[in-house]
Order: sequence, then C-alpha cells, then structure tokens
Amino acid sequence: MKRFVVTILLLGLMVTGLGAVGQAQQAKIVVYSALPDLETGLINKEFTKRTGIQVESLNVAAAGTLAARIQAEKARPRADIFVGGSADIHAPLAVEGLLAAYKSQAAADAKVSPAYIDPSGYWHGWYLGALGIIINTDRWDRDMAPRRVAKPANWDDLLKPEFRGHFIMPSPITTGGGYIFVAAQIFRLGEDRAWQYLRALNGNASQYTPTAPGTITLMARGEGVVAMQWAHEGIGARLAALQPLETIVPPDTAFEIGAVSIIKGGPNADGAKAYVDFLMTRYPQDINAKYGFRYPVRGDVPVPMGATPFDQLKFVKYDRAWAIQNATQIRNRWQQEIRR
Amino acid sequence: MAVISLGRLRRHAADPGVAVAFLAAAAVLGVFVLYPTFRVLSFPAWRDYVQIPSSGRWVQAAQNSLVMMVISTVTATLAGLFFAFAVTRPDVPGRRLFRSLAMLPLFAPPFMVAFAYILMFGRQGLVTRTLLGLNVNIFGWHGLWLVQTVAFFPLAMLIIIGVLESVNPSLEHAARNLGADEWTVVRTVTLALARPGIAGAMLVVAISVLADFGNAVVIAGGYPLLATEAWFRLEGMADLKGAALVVAMLIVPTFILFLLERYVVSRRSYVTVTGRGSRIERPPTHPVLKWAAFGFCALMSVMVVLVYVGVIAGAFTASWGRDWTVTLNHWRIAADRIGTLWTSLEIGILAGLITGAMGVATAFLTSRPIPLRQVPDFLAVLPGALPGVFVGVGYVLAFNTPPLELVCTIWILAIALGFWHLPLGYQAAGATFKQVERSIEEAAMNLGASGMRVLWDVYLPLLGRAFVGAFTVSFIRAVTNVSIAVFLVCPGTLVATFVIINMINNNNWGAAAALTTMLLLITVAAVGIAGAAFRRTVRSMPMA
Repeated sequence: MKRFVVTILLLGLMVTGLGAVGQAQQAKIVVYSALPDLETGLINKEFTKRTGIQVESLNVAAAGTLAARIQAEKARPRADIFVGGSADIHAPLAVEGLLAAYKSQAAADAKVSPAYIDPSGYWHGWYLGALGIIINTDRWDRDMAPRRVAKPANWDDLLKPEFRGHFIMPSPITTGGGYIFVAAQIFRLGEDRAWQYLRALNGNASQYTPTAPGTITLMARGEGVVAMQWAHEGIGARLAALQPLETIVPPDTAFEIGAVSIIKGGPNADGAKAYVDFLMTRYPQDINAKYGFRYPVRGDVPVPMGATPFDQLKFVKYDRAWAIQNATQIRNRWQQEIRR
Repeated sequence: MAVISLGRLRRHAADPGVAVAFLAAAAVLGVFVLYPTFRVLSFPAWRDYVQIPSSGRWVQAAQNSLVMMVISTVTATLAGLFFAFAVTRPDVPGRRLFRSLAMLPLFAPPFMVAFAYILMFGRQGLVTRTLLGLNVNIFGWHGLWLVQTVAFFPLAMLIIIGVLESVNPSLEHAARNLGADEWTVVRTVTLALARPGIAGAMLVVAISVLADFGNAVVIAGGYPLLATEAWFRLEGMADLKGAALVVAMLIVPTFILFLLERYVVSRRSYVTVTGRGSRIERPPTHPVLKWAAFGFCALMSVMVVLVYVGVIAGAFTASWGRDWTVTLNHWRIAADRIGTLWTSLEIGILAGLITGAMGVATAFLTSRPIPLRQVPDFLAVLPGALPGVFVGVGYVLAFNTPPLELVCTIWILAIALGFWHLPLGYQAAGATFKQVERSIEEAAMNLGASGMRVLWDVYLPLLGRAFVGAFTVSFIRAVTNVSIAVFLVCPGTLVATFVIINMINNNNWGAAAALTTMLLLITVAAVGIAGAAFRRTVRSMPMA
C-alpha cells in the first residue's frame, strides 16, 4: 500500500517537474514550416549564421495541420513563425486574431510588389507557385499514345473521356492547391458552368489526395496518367527525382502566394520579425527557387530551372480576397456536389 | 447469496486500500481521458450539434463508417480467431512462425500497410500488373476492407490467444469423454470459453476500425468516412469545431458497442482458472480442422509478408516499378534521422507501461463490486472511440497551460498514447479477471489478506500475461503512431513516424521505407527483450 502511494506521488512530482523543464536559455525562435526539410533546413541554417538566433523548426507537409495546431495552442502559443503554404491558409488565422501584424521594411527595400503582401501586414508573400497539368509519360506512351489522344493543353481537355479513372488531383477540402483550382474555375466559367465542369471532371477523377505532394507520389508511380497539381512540384519531381513526369501550365491558370506570418504571443517576437525580414532577402528565395522550383517574389532572383518565366504565364482574373472570404462556403458546396 | 454479496460489498467498501486505489484511478482517468475529451467536445456550441442531420455528406460518412465497421470487424475477428485457434494448438504445423508473422502488421505504421498494398495491388502493382498483368483499382471501400482486415486481425488474435491459452484442457477432455465429437468440443467448450475474448476482440477491432484514419486516408479514395471527415475538417479548413462535431458522431456507435459487449459477455460464467491445478496435455486437433487452420494461416501470412516485401524492397531499390537498381542511398538519408528512433523508443516504453499498469489496475477495480465502477469502466474503453487527431488536439487544448503544462515534453506523447491504447490493456486484463474463480480470492481473504494484497498475490501473477500483452501492443502502436504524434511533437521531440510520413509526403518513398525498416528492427528487438524479461519475472512469481 505504501509503495502504491509513493509511486503515485513520485509520478506526480515527475510530471509537474518535467513540465517546467525546457524553457529557453539562449536566443531562439520556433518555426512551423509547411515546406520540405531540405529548403527549410538550408534557410534556417543561413538565418542562424546571419542573426545568431537559433531555429527550431517543425516541418509538416500539410499547412492545414499547422494552422489547426496554432489554433489549438491559442492559449499559449508555442511557435513564433508559420511559414509556407498559401496565403489562403494564413489569412483566416489573422481573422481569428492568432497572427501579429508586421510590415517588413526589407520587403519595401526589395521592391516586392504590394500585391503579394497583406495590406494589414498579417502575412508576407515570399514565393509564388502556378497550377499546372502533369502527365506521367511512361503511362501516356503505353495507354494514351497508341490511341492517338492529344496531350491536354487547357483545363477543358481534362474532361476527355479517355482520362476516365486516370485523373488525380489534390483534394480541394484539405489542400490550398485543390481549392485554388476550384476557385479558378469559378473565375474562369462563372458559378454555374464551373460546377458543371467540376462534376464532369469528377467523372474522370480516380482520387483526390489529402496532401498536395501526395498527387505527385501517386503520379510518379503511375497510379494516374493525368493530374492537376502545382507546376513546380511536377518540374521538381522530374528534375530532382528523375520521375517520368511532364508539366504543362495551361492558360487561365491561377497562382498561390506562399506566405510567412508571425504568430501572436509567440515566445520571441523580435526573432520572428527578423525571420520575416530575412525571407525577403535574396538567399532564401534563391534556395526556394533552386531546390523547390518555386517562383521568387524578388525581381533579382533567377527563374527556377525548367519553369516558364512568371510574367509569361496567362492567369485567370483571380479575386483572392473573394476566394479567401468564401472558402468555407465553396468547400461545402464542393462536398455536396462531388460527394467525395 | 444476496447476503454473501452484501457482506462482500461492505467488506470492499471498508477496505481502505481498494477505496484509495479506486479514487486514484478514477481521478487519473478523469484527468487524462475525460478532461481532454471534454475540452474538444465543448469547443462547438450546442446549436452546431443540432445542425448535424442536415448535412447529407456527414450522414453518408456515418453510414459508410458503420458499413466498414461491420464488414472489417467480422473479417478481422474471424481471421484473428482462426489464427488464435491455430497457434494455441500444439500440433498445427508452423504455429510459431504464424504467430510471429501475424504480429507483423502491428509493427508497421498503419498508412504503411495501405501504401504497401497500393504498391502490390495497385495499377502499377508488383502482383497485379507485373506478375498477373491486371489493371486493378484498389482505391475504395474494397481496398480499405482488405487493408483493415490485415491491419486489425492481429489485435483480435492477441486478445483471443490470451483467453484460449488459459482454457483448461481438462474441460475439453471431459467433453470428449462424455461422447462429444471434435466439432462439438470446439464449439461448446473451446469457443464458448473464449467468448469474453472474442467479444472483447470484436469491441476493440470495431472501435479501431471506426477510428482508423491512417489506412482510410491513403486508400479509401472517394469513400467518405467519419474518421477522415474529422481530419478533412481539421487539415483543410483548420476547422476544430467541425472536427469536434464529427467526432461526437463517432462516440455514439462506440457507446452502443460498449453496452453490447457488456451485455453479451457478462451473461455467463467463464471461470476456468481454479485453485485446483491441472497440467494435462492438450488433446490432438481433428485433422480437417488442423489443415483448414493451417491453410488459412498460410494465406493470411502471405498477405502480411507482402507488406514487408514492399517496404524492404522499396528501401533497397532506386525507384519503385521503374528502376529496380539496388542502392543504399535511401539508408544514408534515413541514418541522418536515427535520433528520432530513440525518441520513439522512449515514448513507446513509457506508453506501454502506462497502458499495462492502468489497464490491469482499472480492470481489477471494475471487477470489484464497488459502487460507480461503471464510470472507470467506460472511461477505460472511451479512448478507443476517439480518432488520433482528436486525442492530439484534446491534449494540446488541455495541457498547454498550467497546472499541468505538458506540451512539448516527451510525457505528453507517452501519456496521450498510453491512455489512447488503454482499451487494449483493459480488455485483455478484464477478460482474464472474468476467468478467475472467486473462491481463490475468497480463500485469500479468509486467510486475512487485504484487497490490495489480493491483487498483489492472487491476481498479479495471473495477470502477468495480460500485462505483457497490453504493454507490447501499446508499445508497438505508440511507436508506429502518426495521428496523435502529428499534433504533439515539437522540434525537440520528433518521432520516427512523423519523419517517415513527411518523407512519403515529399515523395521520398525509398528513405521512408528505409527508416520504417529500421523502426521495425528496433521495435522487434525491443519487444523481444521486453518479452524475455517479463517472462522471467512472471515465471518466478508464485502460481504462474
């Protein structure tokens, strides 16, 4: 009996004692990153070199997970920075009062277009990505070429009956890319015809992957022949991982603004500001273009390998504020129309 | 009779050891099971709950979840029962090998089973296309059914084995001597005595299937389910409120399952462990039964082995399905992340100890005639109804601020995983308790032993096996967990599965396969060492 009570007491002591451990001694920031380990690691290393501030980073490929985590930690934020993922995911956090406003002088110095920065300063765009059509060339040569099917050149070509069961895209419910695609169709065709289009496309779809890179993983393994996905993901998979993927950026495409934001009440507010300033400089945008194949927001960073220059792409007239505001409603409608 | 039980009640109520332990266990369950659940469920407003029936998609998801629950539970429990039957017979060929193979699905992260099956049976599948030349779509409910059956039958097997092994062979002999044929013996003695195990197994499997999200999210394709729906809300819309609503829908069927299991199992007497010792050889198995069991186990084993063929082949080949060049490159990348394996190991051991200790303690207390024992009873099975992401969010909400500020420590992962797997330990221990004849305990009490002394001297040796089982399953599942870890890891407490799923998400399947293989090796080694150590302790105890 004594032993039992002692054990319980000891356990209690251990638990409360350990809770107190782990407070920071030296200057450091905590980063929640939706970008891959490689880019995040290189960028953080350089940041530490320049500022002396250590970076602890948690990299999760799904920005939504990080956003939900930031919500759950509201009472006591654990991280200073939320980086990566489309501004569409950062903006609602600002509405909930979870982000701190900041206007980086570095962004103005670098002549970053104001279109890429939140007017209230809740998020700063630092990279761009365009939606594209991705083709598995191995499977195309085997299944489509003998039937003399022409390669898709625009969004409407995705409806070809030959692609039935062979089309893959990221889920509009769980990914920014999937959602931006749906919104782009609304801007391209108007509400009614857009839903018609999406229902028809659903007839061809074999899968809506819950994460954006998941589409690339399946495409690389030939589970699909044609996909809708970020062009930089497809180009990167071909150039860096030598996957048999071809990427086409069709007209009327849309783009994401890859954002960084400061979490309100995080442990190191000054460190967070320094991090945002740093992302506006040339080095991190170079790294992101070189290893992530994403477009920089700075004019002096070269176009990523294999990509068409950003200003030569043809974009649909995309009302970002409207798309962000109506996201929940459009996603609910998509679920009702598509039933997936 | 009534007089005796009343007397017993008074005696137990008066026993301060049992009373204190009961209060302590209830308090711990309250803090680590009820409070986080409450925090999540109280997140939406009441009027949000009222709107559920108007959402066609959620109703559809609920229907699908129930269908999957029924079919996967039936197949997984049947497979587990066959396996348990086969490996507890001394004369089924290859039983030791089958037992080890059947444990394997528990060692792999759940998404890995689904992923390996896509590689094996998908459009580019090694089996379906390369070997058979078929063009198969594995995505959908049928793929999920297959994967869940393979993923969850080991759980059923473990629980049923625990019970079958303690079925006294002399009862089977007695039935045979009374003229029963083999089939009747199996049906009326072996299976009848295994009923608490089978029912317990079905409950655990059913709630695991309901809450399973790792497999569903990889392979269910366009088939909405409640567990994935909750995740969709969270991941895509960062909508905690919506997720909480969906999870509330999951708790309803679980509660019903719980009541069912209680009703069915507690109706009969299953006492087989009596004070009168018996070490009679188990009689030979009927040849038809023996070879049927063998054939079935062989088939299931092949299905299990294929998962590992996929993982290990992926770890050593340049690019699946295209470039089969053997390479060690993936291992180099994986070796950089080896530190995360030790964190996983540490968390797994702590979680296993928590599940084992809490499972045994709670099962002991709820088997006593104590008032309100249904409360800890329910709290001990409740975690099984909660999807991992829900538990993760609940723990962040509950333990992010003082007085219990656990976020970003190793303890929050260990406690969350330990309590999430509590139903496993609790069911296994509970089934064992039901088999113990009260007279042993009463004899001890008559000799002056206190309630705690009864637990220590009478039950603990008998429960050694249940504890080892609970520890092992909880350890393995903690080490392979993703859904909880994704919310509770911090930069300082990264676990291996978290890194693996990131690798898969970044299309780095080779490195993911290599790190999974390392995780598998370390887990198997740890379980082997733990098993050997426990076995020695248990053997040295009296009466074991």
